[in-house]
Amino acid sequence: MGLTSRHSSRFTPIDFIADDTGLVARVQALLDDVEPDRAQMLEALHRIQHELGYVPKEAIPFLAAKFKTTPAMIYGVLTFYSEIRTEPPPRVEVQWCSGPACLLKGSRNIRLALEAEFGCGMNESAPDGALGLRLVQCDGTCHLAPLVRLNGRYIGPLTVTDAIQLARRLKEEARRA
Amino acid sequence: MAAPLEAYRRLQEAARPVWEAVARPERPLFRVAVATCTRAAGADETLAALREELSRRGAEADVLIVGCPGLCFADPVVDVHLPGLPRVLYGRVTADQVPRLLDAVLGEARVLPELALGVVLYEEERMEGYRGTPVEGLPDLAQSDWMRLQVRRLMANVGHVGAEEIDHYIARGGYEGLAKALSMTPEEVIKEVLDSGLWGRGGAAFPTGRKWDFLRQARGSPKYLICNADEGDPGAFVNRSLMEGDPHLLIEGMLIAAWATGASYGYIYIRDEYPLPVERMRKAVEQARERGLLGENVLGSGLSCDLEVVRGAGSYVCGEETGLISSLEDVRGMPKIRPPYPAQAGVFAKPTNVNNVESYANVPLILRHGAGWYASVGSERNKGTKMFSLSGQVQRVGVLEVPLGTPVRDVIMVAGGGPPEGRKLKGLQPGGPLSGVAPASRILAQDGLPLEPEPFREIGMLMGAGGLVVLDDSSCVVDLALYFEWFAEDESCGRCTTCFGGTRRLQEMLRRISEGGGRPEDVPLMRLLPDAMRNANCAHGQAAPTIILSLLDLFQDELQEHLVRKRCPAKACRGLVRYEVVAQDEALPRAADICPTQAIVKEDGSYRIDQARCIRCNACKEVAPQAIAVLDRFAEQA
Ligand SMILES: Cc1cc2nc3c(=O)[nH]c(=O)nc-3n(C[C@H](O)[C@H](O)[C@H](O)COP(=O)(O)O)c2cc1C
Ligand code: SF4
Ligand code: SF4
Ligand code: FES
Repeated sequence: MGLTSRHSSRFTPIDFIADDTGLVARVQALLDDVEPDRAQMLEALHRIQHELGYVPKEAIPFLAAKFKTTPAMIYGVLTFYSEIRTEPPPRVEVQWCSGPACLLKGSRNIRLALEAEFGCGMNESAPDGALGLRLVQCDGTCHLAPLVRLNGRYIGPLTVTDAIQLARRLKEEARRA
Repeated sequence: MAAPLEAYRRLQEAARPVWEAVARPERPLFRVAVATCTRAAGADETLAALREELSRRGAEADVLIVGCPGLCFADPVVDVHLPGLPRVLYGRVTADQVPRLLDAVLGEARVLPELALGVVLYEEERMEGYRGTPVEGLPDLAQSDWMRLQVRRLMANVGHVGAEEIDHYIARGGYEGLAKALSMTPEEVIKEVLDSGLWGRGGAAFPTGRKWDFLRQARGSPKYLICNADEGDPGAFVNRSLMEGDPHLLIEGMLIAAWATGASYGYIYIRDEYPLPVERMRKAVEQARERGLLGENVLGSGLSCDLEVVRGAGSYVCGEETGLISSLEDVRGMPKIRPPYPAQAGVFAKPTNVNNVESYANVPLILRHGAGWYASVGSERNKGTKMFSLSGQVQRVGVLEVPLGTPVRDVIMVAGGGPPEGRKLKGLQPGGPLSGVAPASRILAQDGLPLEPEPFREIGMLMGAGGLVVLDDSSCVVDLALYFEWFAEDESCGRCTTCFGGTRRLQEMLRRISEGGGRPEDVPLMRLLPDAMRNANCAHGQAAPTIILSLLDLFQDELQEHLVRKRCPAKACRGLVRYEVVAQDEALPRAADICPTQAIVKEDGSYRIDQARCIRCNACKEVAPQAIAVLDRFAEQA
């Protein structure tokens, strides 16, 4: 992966980027109409993530070339934003709202219980990789606090018992899948 | 008539019939609120069920998608307008309730009192004599506790017009403010905005007209406008509600700003967590372009301006205006060092003006109705209305719009219905992580803590951008401070040691205190850190310790309990409680079963909790409330 070392110029021409898995070609097709210098970096990252579920590291040299900058700068951007993932997401992800309304209504208990059930911490995947937990910010659905989101659905208000039963059901489904 | 006004009248003429069909429907009209909040409660399913059920019954009826009228506590909401009758708003209309609702409203009964929240009367309808003749037995929604403090100006269209219908907006007077502005000089427009007294709603409360004047006078081109729709304060969702319910109000405000300042391009930067506002705003921008309201030669005035919606990617400091600018420049969204200020060198080093969504959204109303009208509500010192989102430990959660200076006590106790049954009000956390906590004694004082910047400043706090998170006596301010310092560190851009290091030190101290390791010298240390943090580069680091000062000055007793007696009066700090079996009853086997760490063990026929295993998650207490007690961890063993 990466820049060919023969190239010492700051910007790598796109042709020189290795693409063993074909990922870069897919990314390139997604970004055909994206222009550098026009506040389009976030748009580019969203498109890639929408398509692949995450922004693979293999795309960094390509993005650097596209946006006429260095891989280091792209890496900096990728890791700055909490909603841009650099690893594939787990198959099933319980998103736990970290906001204040949820907190006041007992979300921390729910978090502890979910972590104990899944055997993994926040923003991690359970050992088998199928289930994961992710911390998300409040999006103003506080009438359902405390809540979790699962596949775009909101589940709340939740008791700790509800959360544990949900986790057990998901584990059971993952085991059977 | 000036050219822009003439062009506008033509647009309005064309739009009127479209709105008329909705305003005075000839067949039943169902307005379904589809917004982030209603969707979370199942509005998409309600919408699908409604459409399916209507077609199954072969009913002649229309469905209109609108924004959330702010009654989130009753989501999903559906507004039913039967020809010749006043509208009725229904709450908790989940998909399974749809057949029942249709049976009633399309049948003899015409109403379903069990789900009705009240009769909705807009000015048009009030004028037509509906006043005082609500549908048999149903209250007038405007007189309800939730609504009666409110003055809905910014929200006048929300829940009323189609969320994706530019014609509705135009027919109701939308873009008239722009047409008027385009018939004035930029200086006159700025004067009008200054005269209204409008200040920025994003937190810093800087006069909007003065900011615009900086950009107008700035040299360099092109000039840029930015709308800050990052709304990162947890618990704030007023910008979201406005963009989802009336997107054109923001576009019109930005166009007026473009004319007043000479800007030719604008970015609307919306946080990642708001996909629906991104969608709605993009659609609205497209529609405005089609009508010649955006792009070249707007309404034949010579103004050329275009707008673009940018979706953020999850960063609180990208709400800080220079962080936002960095983010648009395709680098890490780190706040910059000032000067230069954005008006001198903003995005791409060009002169730039940054305003909050609500700041821009006020301007069309000021231009349409005049600064005098605008200033006719509000307090002595602060004019106009402000939107707030009420959440936390309060009975009714939702979005409201009240005149500035409205006592927060009334917002919590009347509109919000106060804390949950059996609980006492403890305080208020307004405006996000940088703003502190107000105690109940201040809220319940004579003046009720007016919602305007000054009274909050007097107690060392900030009113903020619209979030109002209510605390009852089951909450702990030490615990809340720990959360906010965690948030501040997690979101720190990392430039200043004072910011990320300061918030980390504060967290360590608070964590220790919340686990029973507090020391007397923590208090002076906690006072020292905020002084150092004031040297941080941006307000994120500077204001991050505000809640610590609230804790030290306004909640001393609670802090002392933690420090000296090692107990948490609210039993919210997990490090200071323990769970014990205090009675053997039939619920215990289920408690043992639900415990995620198998900490409830049976020995010699009776259950007890293995403290080494217990993570204090409270699940067992939910299942066996009589058998299990939450005790102070450092009190004598029971
Ligand atoms: C950490 C931080 C986060 C901020 N977040 C927002 C925000 O989400 N929305 C906003 O309008 N202003 C936010 N601000 C304030 C902006 O820096 C800026 O003052 C505001 O957008 C100016 O607009 P106004 O004059 O219309 O209020 C934030 C400030 C800081 C320090
Ligand atoms: S105060 Fe914090 S957020 Fe602001 S520039 Fe410094 S480190 Fe970044
Ligand atoms: S508090 Fe949670 S971990 Fe502790 S015994 Fe009860 S259920 Fe188990
Ligand atoms: S705090 Fe969880 S949705 Fe607002």
